[in-house]
Amino acid sequence: MTERIPIARRIGTVALHAGLAVFAVMQLFPLVWMFVYSLHRSGDLFGGDLLSIPDDPQWDNYARVWVHGEIVRYGLNSLIVVTASTVASTVLSFCMGYAITRMRWRRKRIVLGAIVLGMVVPVHATLLPNFLWFGQFGLIDTRLGLILPYVAFTLSFNTLVYAAHFRSLPVALEEAALLDGASWPRILWTVIAPLARPATVTVAVMTFLTCWNEFIMANTYLASDELRTLPFSIIRLQGEYSGDYAAQFACMVIVAVPAVILYLWFSKHIMAGATAGAVKE
Amino acid sequence: MAAVARSRAAIAGLIVPGLCVLTFSLVVPLGFSAYFSITDSAGFGEYHIVGADNYREILGDEVFCRSLRNVVLLIAVTIFLQNPIAFVLAAVLSRLSARVSRILRTVYFVPAVLSLVVVAKLWVDVFNPTFGVLDKLLRAVGLDALAVSWLSNPRTAVAAVLWIIVWQGFGWALLFYYAALMTVPRELEDAARVDGASWPQIYRHVIIPYIAPVIAAVIVNDVISSMKQMELIYLTTAGGPGQLTQFLGVYLYQKAFVTGEYGYGNALSVVFVVVSLVLSLVVLRGMRALAR
Repeated sequence: MTERIPIARRIGTVALHAGLAVFAVMQLFPLVWMFVYSLHRSGDLFGGDLLSIPDDPQWDNYARVWVHGEIVRYGLNSLIVVTASTVASTVLSFCMGYAITRMRWRRKRIVLGAIVLGMVVPVHATLLPNFLWFGQFGLIDTRLGLILPYVAFTLSFNTLVYAAHFRSLPVALEEAALLDGASWPRILWTVIAPLARPATVTVAVMTFLTCWNEFIMANTYLASDELRTLPFSIIRLQGEYSGDYAAQFACMVIVAVPAVILYLWFSKHIMAGATAGAVKE
Repeated sequence: MAAVARSRAAIAGLIVPGLCVLTFSLVVPLGFSAYFSITDSAGFGEYHIVGADNYREILGDEVFCRSLRNVVLLIAVTIFLQNPIAFVLAAVLSRLSARVSRILRTVYFVPAVLSLVVVAKLWVDVFNPTFGVLDKLLRAVGLDALAVSWLSNPRTAVAAVLWIIVWQGFGWALLFYYAALMTVPRELEDAARVDGASWPQIYRHVIIPYIAPVIAAVIVNDVISSMKQMELIYLTTAGGPGQLTQFLGVYLYQKAFVTGEYGYGNALSVVFVVVSLVLSLVVLRGMRALAR
């Protein structure tokens, strides 16, 4: 009896570790497969082998994607729209988060209601009306017409991240600055903004990732090829070079890599932000 | 401090810009949608007010019912399958050394940061019957009979779509639970162990009650994000085969932009918003009551 417990426990530990490994493989294997296939010739993909790196890796696939997938043009479009959205959303949510936690005013409930609406309402429910509504202002098929909803749909979550952060800050510093006669915008910029840096990094990185990966709004509001964003390179290859499977895999790798690098770089901040939303609710 | 914390100019300056963006791209469109939901608009040209006709049609719409059923199915799979697994793995991770745990968490979360377009295309390829890795694997081990066209076979399509969604969302569930488990004070656990409690007992009577509010928040989050699934379905099966894998977001989109029933699409859209709001509210209330 005394010996059985450690053995049972050891088996349990092994089983749990095996479980960890199995799930790690499940999460990564499709991505490894994607990369390996991106180095094959399209014709070789139909063979029997599962996962072997070819003797002559076809890096040429990537060169083809670079041209046929309009990587440079779409990538630049993404960069412009996403950067603008990220800056705007970060600044606006910083202000709103501050006003909500640090200031007292009537009708705060209305603003809080709008913020909750932004968390719960599915993006997809605004696609139809916005198509006509934005059209009234000539915003369809423009960059601004994409930036506005990107800001709107990231604003709520970002405001909550900032609000959670501000609640953890002492008010003493602001009071001291006020006594020194500093103006309001000045205090926000020189006292609060530096203190809010961790939240700012989180908010900015998460907004960038969300908008960088966004597809359905871009698919709905953009019509001209000149403005399309990076995910469309995959759609484009699928449509116009549908037989070039290897290139399609290479394209997926190209689109995925910036997001993965950004994530690996800032994973600590992303994890902190992601949990701030749920844990502090 | 008090004087400035009430300064109207400052408050307006901080709130109004953000509120304008929210109003312009979110609140007004919802009103717009409500208006068009009582018309027979095709999205362009003339249209007529048809009253509640669209809504009456929704009540008898089988595809709409199927979409709701799929959402409920997804919620169930997420809560009863994905979450428990994520919880157990998070619990194991929380006992490993900081370095190993960090590496593994990073690995688990990679799919969650990928563009939905990449995820959708990737799984369409994995499930592809000729060069997809899944069927190759099945044939390699002699299970040729199981090697089907997963996303277009009526018997497997729903499961395949749910799998893709759960696969991508797994990292989030794990992350939430891991963060929650790290907030449990060590002393609580130690005290229970001194009292002779076993691991299952410690989890059941100490740790899970301690993080109950987070579990509740995660479940609310699961419900909301299950409702919001659209792109992965749109890009993999587009609701097919035969509307089997239809979800509300995809259905209303197709109605408006493919079959030209813009008015009807907006009615679906309004119902979509209402169901999302009500469901979130109910689950939130229920979870709060349970967590108490």
